Amino acid sequence: MAYAYLFKYIIIGDTGVGKSCLLLQFTDKRFQPVHDLTIGVEFGARMITIDGKQIKLQIWDTAGQESFRSITRSYYRGAAGALLVYDITRRDTFNHLTTWLEDARQHSNSNMVIMLIGNKSDLESRREVKKEEGEAFAREHGLIFMETSAKTASNVEEAFINTAKEIYEKIQEGVFDINNEANGIKIGPQHPTTNSTLSGSQGGQHAGGGCC
Amino acid sequence: MSKSRGPGASSPVNGKQGNDWDTRRKRKIADITHALSASPVDVAALRRMAISEGGLLTDELRCQVWPRLLNVPPHVLEQEPETVERENNKDYNQVLLDVQRSLRRFPPGMPDEQREGLQEELIDIILLVLKRNPQLHYYQGYHDIVVTFLLVLGERLATALVEKLSTHHLRDFMDPTMDNTKHILNYLMPIIERVNPEVHDFMQQAEVGTVFALSWLITWFGHVLSDFRHVVRLYDFFLACHPLMPIYFAAVIVLYREEEVLECECDMAMVHHLLSQIPQDLPYETLISRAGDLFVQFPPSELAREAASHDSTAASTFKDFDLASTQQRPDSVLRRRRRQKQAALERSAANAVVVVARPSAARRFVRLAVMGLTVALGAAALAVVNTALEWAPKLNFFP
Repeated sequence: MAYAYLFKYIIIGDTGVGKSCLLLQFTDKRFQPVHDLTIGVEFGARMITIDGKQIKLQIWDTAGQESFRSITRSYYRGAAGALLVYDITRRDTFNHLTTWLEDARQHSNSNMVIMLIGNKSDLESRREVKKEEGEAFAREHGLIFMETSAKTASNVEEAFINTAKEIYEKIQEGVFDINNEANGIKIGPQHPTTNSTLSGSQGGQHAGGGCC
Repeated sequence: MSKSRGPGASSPVNGKQGNDWDTRRKRKIADITHALSASPVDVAALRRMAISEGGLLTDELRCQVWPRLLNVPPHVLEQEPETVERENNKDYNQVLLDVQRSLRRFPPGMPDEQREGLQEELIDIILLVLKRNPQLHYYQGYHDIVVTFLLVLGERLATALVEKLSTHHLRDFMDPTMDNTKHILNYLMPIIERVNPEVHDFMQQAEVGTVFALSWLITWFGHVLSDFRHVVRLYDFFLACHPLMPIYFAAVIVLYREEEVLECECDMAMVHHLLSQIPQDLPYETLISRAGDLFVQFPPSELAREAASHDSTAASTFKDFDLASTQQRPDSVLRRRRRQKQAALERSAANAVVVVARPSAARRFVRLAVMGLTVALGAAALAVVNTALEWAPKLNFFP
């Protein structure tokens, strides 16, 4: 499916905070109460529309365990956006944000847009991290912030789309060099053709199977 | 490689040659029983049978043969079971989180109560092995291996075998970082290149890397295959072989999917996605046989240099066959190897030049000729066993 831009994202954060569930909710609009863990990196994609333009989000979902860091780190490079996720019911996942942020900043390009996400907002009764704390952390480090629930889908669309809007604005302002793919942005094919065999429809995990 | 698929290569395990296979199956069960009752137990024969068609066939036989393949003495069952304190255990929270998420790995019809009991045992085994071996670090995916042993062997025997496996075959995955695991993954592309340069070049061009095979390697495919029978069949094979065999099997899967790969958009994300979705209907017996063939044709010693040239860190540790399997060696050996690392570092620079200088087209031609001569299904099993026996004593399997 033709797109004007492709943005590459990564999802990072401690193990078990709901990274894969956020991705699944965004790409497939469903929730798996018991989602098997991610080993290494997995990949999902979806089309969105911003300012009347089709934008393809290519999202890399990473393993949260510390020992995988040396493998997942190489996926930071060439990402235009990052979702940094913690679990509002587990204080330790919030405490580790600084480490994640340092790691991300060190291994990515400086213009990468980072969205801080406090996930599992449906579990209000088990909340350990106040929303204000998330907001304060985001303000202090220049991040966008949202609380989401991969289970109820609350704010999931917004989290992914608002990150894309921010990237899009940066492109308009000329902050991103879109001709350099290392920035995680790719311009779509010059002459888009309609091809019914492609499966890049909204919600599809398979983002098209065109031949190169 | 997939072009060589013919009717004759299809696995009778799939039921196509019903009666014939029944007869052979019965004979094989008798052979395994015979090897087990020999004095001393004929471990070489057991290895051959774990590799050859159908593997060890039943879980009852696995309970008897797997300990032999890992040289775990039968008297472990008489030892008092040990318990591990869960409170204040550094690994407990992580293990609990992962085990709770591993429902998929238990048989679908199993009652919740029974499954929950097994999950508790799974946690106990993992924590016990980690406690007894403080040099080992838990990694996500380790529980995928342990659960396979638990379901086949029960808690006591599983604990003993998993401990042995963790200090040998899985040792490298249990470092604080995955650097050595990354190095083992570097063996993948050289194997693919030798068999099918076109697929290799396509993957290189797409810059897909090897992370798609990470979960295959560190869980021995337990994380990605949904049919438990396939998982235990592969475990028969891997337990009888060299620790790097899972990488050869990973290469064989990629090569088997040649057409799909070449038809894919030549893009990192697309190729990664395609390859990481493992087909569930693979012809396992054929692929096992091919992996064995490839191991014989392109042993780790031959690949070590190229694998090393893919990275600059761990690379230099692995300069020949001996070093290629250091990752699965006991720690004492590993420590000695590390001392040799500096010397190897100096040599590796020179080696890299030699590799580049060889004309690749000529090399490829020679390789294809070799392929034509040696691809004989099952014929490699004996050679694989012999290789396994060569390194086995070094692993203290037969002290």
